[in-house]
Amino acid sequence: MNSIQTDTIVIGGGIIGVSLAYGLIKHGSSVILLDREDQNLTASRANFGLVWVQSKGYGMPRYAEWCIEATDHWPVFSESLEEETGSKLNYENTGGFEICLGEEELAARVKFIEDMRMQSRNGQYEVSMLSRDELQKMLPKIALGNDVSGASFCRHDGIVDPLNLLRTFYQGFQKRGGDYRPGHWVEDIQKDGSGFLVKTPKQHFRAQKLVIASGLATTKLSNMVGMAVPVSPQKGQVLVTERTSKLFPFATGGIRQNANGNFMFGASHEDTGIEIGTSTDILKVLVSRALRIFPVLENLQLVRTWAGLRVLTPDQKPVYCESEEFPGAFAVTSHSGVSLASLHSDKLPEWILEGKIFPDFDVFHPRRFNV
Amino acid sequence: MQVPEYDLIIIGSGPAGMAAAVTSRGQGLKVLVLDEQPTAGGQIYRNIEHLELHRNPEFKKLGRDYSEASGLVKRFKNCGADYLSGMTVWQIEKELVVRVVHNSPGQDKKSPLSFKAKKILIAVGAMERPMPIPGWTLPGVMACTAVDVLYKSAGIVPKGTVVLAGAGPLLLLIATRLLDAGVKISALLNTNPQNALLKALPHLPSALRTPEYLVKGAGMLLKLRTSGVPIHFGIRSIEAQGKENLNRVRFVSSKGTQTVDADLLLLHQGVVPNVQITRLLGCEHQWYESQRYWEPVLDEWGNTSVPGIAVAGDCGRVSGSKVSELSGHIAALETARALGALSESKRDEQASSIRAELKKQQASRPFLDTLFEPQKSWIVPEDEATMVCRCEEVDVGEIRNTVRLGAHSPDRVKAMIRSGMGFCQGRMCALTLSEIIADELKISPADVGYLRVRSPIKPVTLGQLVSSE
Amino acid sequence: MFKKLPQNGEKVSIDFEGKRLETVTGQTVAAALLGSGEMLFRESAVTGQPRSVYCMMGVCFECLLEIDGKPNQQSCMILVQEGMKIRRQQRPIMENHASA
Ligand SMILES: Cc1cc2nc3c(=O)[nH]c(=O)nc-3n(C[C@H](O)[C@H](O)[C@H](O)COP(=O)(O)OP(=O)(O)OC[C@H]3O[C@@H](n4cnc5c(N)ncnc54)[C@H](O)[C@@H]3O)c2cc1C
Ligand SMILES: Cc1cc2nc3c(=O)[nH]c(=O)nc-3n(C[C@H](O)[C@H](O)[C@H](O)COP(=O)(O)OP(=O)(O)OC[C@H]3O[C@@H](n4cnc5c(N)ncnc54)[C@H](O)[C@@H]3O)c2cc1C
Ligand code: FES
Repeated sequence: MNSIQTDTIVIGGGIIGVSLAYGLIKHGSSVILLDREDQNLTASRANFGLVWVQSKGYGMPRYAEWCIEATDHWPVFSESLEEETGSKLNYENTGGFEICLGEEELAARVKFIEDMRMQSRNGQYEVSMLSRDELQKMLPKIALGNDVSGASFCRHDGIVDPLNLLRTFYQGFQKRGGDYRPGHWVEDIQKDGSGFLVKTPKQHFRAQKLVIASGLATTKLSNMVGMAVPVSPQKGQVLVTERTSKLFPFATGGIRQNANGNFMFGASHEDTGIEIGTSTDILKVLVSRALRIFPVLENLQLVRTWAGLRVLTPDQKPVYCESEEFPGAFAVTSHSGVSLASLHSDKLPEWILEGKIFPDFDVFHPRRFNV
Repeated sequence: MQVPEYDLIIIGSGPAGMAAAVTSRGQGLKVLVLDEQPTAGGQIYRNIEHLELHRNPEFKKLGRDYSEASGLVKRFKNCGADYLSGMTVWQIEKELVVRVVHNSPGQDKKSPLSFKAKKILIAVGAMERPMPIPGWTLPGVMACTAVDVLYKSAGIVPKGTVVLAGAGPLLLLIATRLLDAGVKISALLNTNPQNALLKALPHLPSALRTPEYLVKGAGMLLKLRTSGVPIHFGIRSIEAQGKENLNRVRFVSSKGTQTVDADLLLLHQGVVPNVQITRLLGCEHQWYESQRYWEPVLDEWGNTSVPGIAVAGDCGRVSGSKVSELSGHIAALETARALGALSESKRDEQASSIRAELKKQQASRPFLDTLFEPQKSWIVPEDEATMVCRCEEVDVGEIRNTVRLGAHSPDRVKAMIRSGMGFCQGRMCALTLSEIIADELKISPADVGYLRVRSPIKPVTLGQLVSSE
Repeated sequence: MFKKLPQNGEKVSIDFEGKRLETVTGQTVAAALLGSGEMLFRESAVTGQPRSVYCMMGVCFECLLEIDGKPNQQSCMILVQEGMKIRRQQRPIMENHASA
């Protein structure tokens, strides 16, 4: 089979793969993006669209800083991507809540926020606690349920339309001449001189650099080029309602309202393997909680449910690494593919293309799982 | 509330569902029939009891099929099956738990909303194939069968100028019925290709096994001709025009472009199986090329690929009310066998006379299916501004652009531009969406697939979800 | 546009946008409105286009109305009842639902 030559091959057309592919081409590399067209929902088409900081990085302060850097870069990043493509991402730096029900949850949240502040390397973890009354004042259009006891608030958090984000990345990538190949399932990777030979049943490809961002397939593909990147699936079920007027212009872990006015609720955490069914029992738990927070939503029509698989490393923190055995091969995976999209596209290409080292970046190497 | 348990739950009380209920009750099964319509009879015999009772002369005029159907409804009502109407099925779980909601507001607390079954028979019938043309969302543009439902179930008929457009036996039937009811049809835009009859001729001998259908068809054509309805052939495009309402229909025929005034435009491109529930349950489906639709893969007893789930009637393959009824009997016999109420030999014995009749009733299908083969030009609109997804307002051009961006499956396109995300759950756009993607990629819809169907297959409120048992 | 053929049956009156409409039992709300000459049912959810009944069989969701205070009711599936209060469906439907 003939092969097609390029500078960089990215394997995986999820949000991480395409944000990197877009960034790489923007940084001057020619890029082919290979993607297995599958019917199963990838995480990137199932997620909640939060640009989220406040609970991230427990036990790894460098990750918390990385998340803050990412969210702080989001406004600039989204503006330039929108300008370039003419599409709307519906990103808003709304600030985000974690809303508590009952005193026990509130106490646990207070303690968690305090721990995060203690761990913070510069002591500036910007999350505050709000009383129920303070929270209600910030939400003049929607009444809180009786069980709401308070909330934590972080000004960095925001929301984006995750599906628009994905589409816009594709547009931006292709506009800059990127070569997107859906329906290309990478089955084998081989060392090829100083570069790599990547094989799919339809076509072979060659490149000097290779980025593996293949969601749940990252472990298997990374293995082919000497990297051990453990990831496993975790199912999350999500619900979406009909459109309604703008009542809740904030981000929270379990409830958000889209730019179109649809409410979304989610997401469950289930270890059910590679399977994306929805189940009424779990959906009821998610919605019951949402209705305890905002009882007035009771009459909204539910129009859709779905489930997707999170891509989780053992400590749920990202992996960024270059193969020691085969330099030029990189693996990237994260459970915050949306939140980190700004840095994945605008910053990581410097590391991949120019070998730039960011401070303490080594904490993200998967060798941390070997101890 | 406790979840009531049944041997068999039948979804749909059309000819197929009613027949299955009667036969399975005859074998002593405990049966529940659910239907979202307020009355039994299915699409063809909507509100038939009311019609017979309150508009008897019109009922009689509808002929022998209707009096026979009235008999079936009576047998169904007396067969001892539990029957809940006005209830929509929105979810079925793997454990064969069927979840419903009441359609009328404020009824939910009166009865259980979940039921458990040993077997489920899906008999939800067919729906009209969407026929997207420019302007088809305007008030005054309707599916052709909608007008038939209005006439039969409510005694309501069009007034003003009526234009019919499309092809298929139901279009002819409804046109003649409108004429009978005194409605003036100002134009009939026949979208069937002019060589269709020639293509169908080889199937004529088989169709002659049930000559009554052909006689009926010829009678309808004659009636249209003699009543002076202007029939236009060689139609290439149709556009509904108006601002708040339909005012005009503009069309291109072999004679050039014409514009006619219209208060009502009735569209028809045949009917297709309603696969929402079989898709939800993950039953295997196949592409039926001749009629350009998906249908569940069934064995000769109506069993799907999912254990415990069978199908009868038009939602398996569109075959008309007689065949639907017979397939309901057959599926019920098989259910009785599977539950141990009937031996295999008894089942086969009882089924054999039904099968003979079934064969006869199916004899005219190849002729009709070839005569009215759906035309791609009426499924994949040429005009890029034509709305495909009526709920989320997505047009042909947006879909094509998204495919060009690399989204090669309906789910991927949907995720990018929301086509199929609205209230109708993709019922009105899914087929068109697959056809457009296939057209853009120059492959068959069979290789493109269909939107993934998930619960709720009809919207429910969040309150209804949390209060379901 | 539509008209009613004469028929027997128990008379029912319903309220549509403040107007009193006479009809008979056993009809769906959608049929009753069409039979009384009403064509406009709702505004589309995305851009507010005028919409009306399309399928009359529960498939298209174009016939959604607000019935007795509840929005999103599929009016081609619901029978009329004496005194029913019916309104066109506006978008978005929760404007005054939820103030604190
Ligand atoms: C329910 C849910 C809610 C979430 N909410 C949020 C949130 O609010 N904010 C946030 O930041 N993150 C959220 N996430 C996480 C986020 O969605 C993921 O971090 C992100 O989508 C991961 O993207 P990915 O590209 O790594 O993986 P995926 O989206 O899984 O994509 C992997 C891609 O690789 C392709 N691929 C796999 N194998 C091969 C192969 N051999 N050859 C070629 N291609 C291959 C696949 O086809 C797929 O397209 C959520 C996740 C879930 C499940
Ligand atoms: C308006 C119309 C007129 C027709 N006229 C003729 C004719 O004159 N002659 C002819 O041969 N054929 C006619 N047909 C075709 C004919 O309807 C079918 O061949 C026949 O009715 C099929 O019977 P069935 O039992 O399979 O389904 P149907 O009769 O369609 O019955 C299906 C039932 O399932 C119910 N249902 C669907 N989904 C759900 C759900 N989620 N929950 C609960 N219940 C549900 C529906 O309310 C319906 O009552 C007509 C079709 C239509 C739409
Ligand atoms: S008119 Fe189509 S659902 Fe009521």
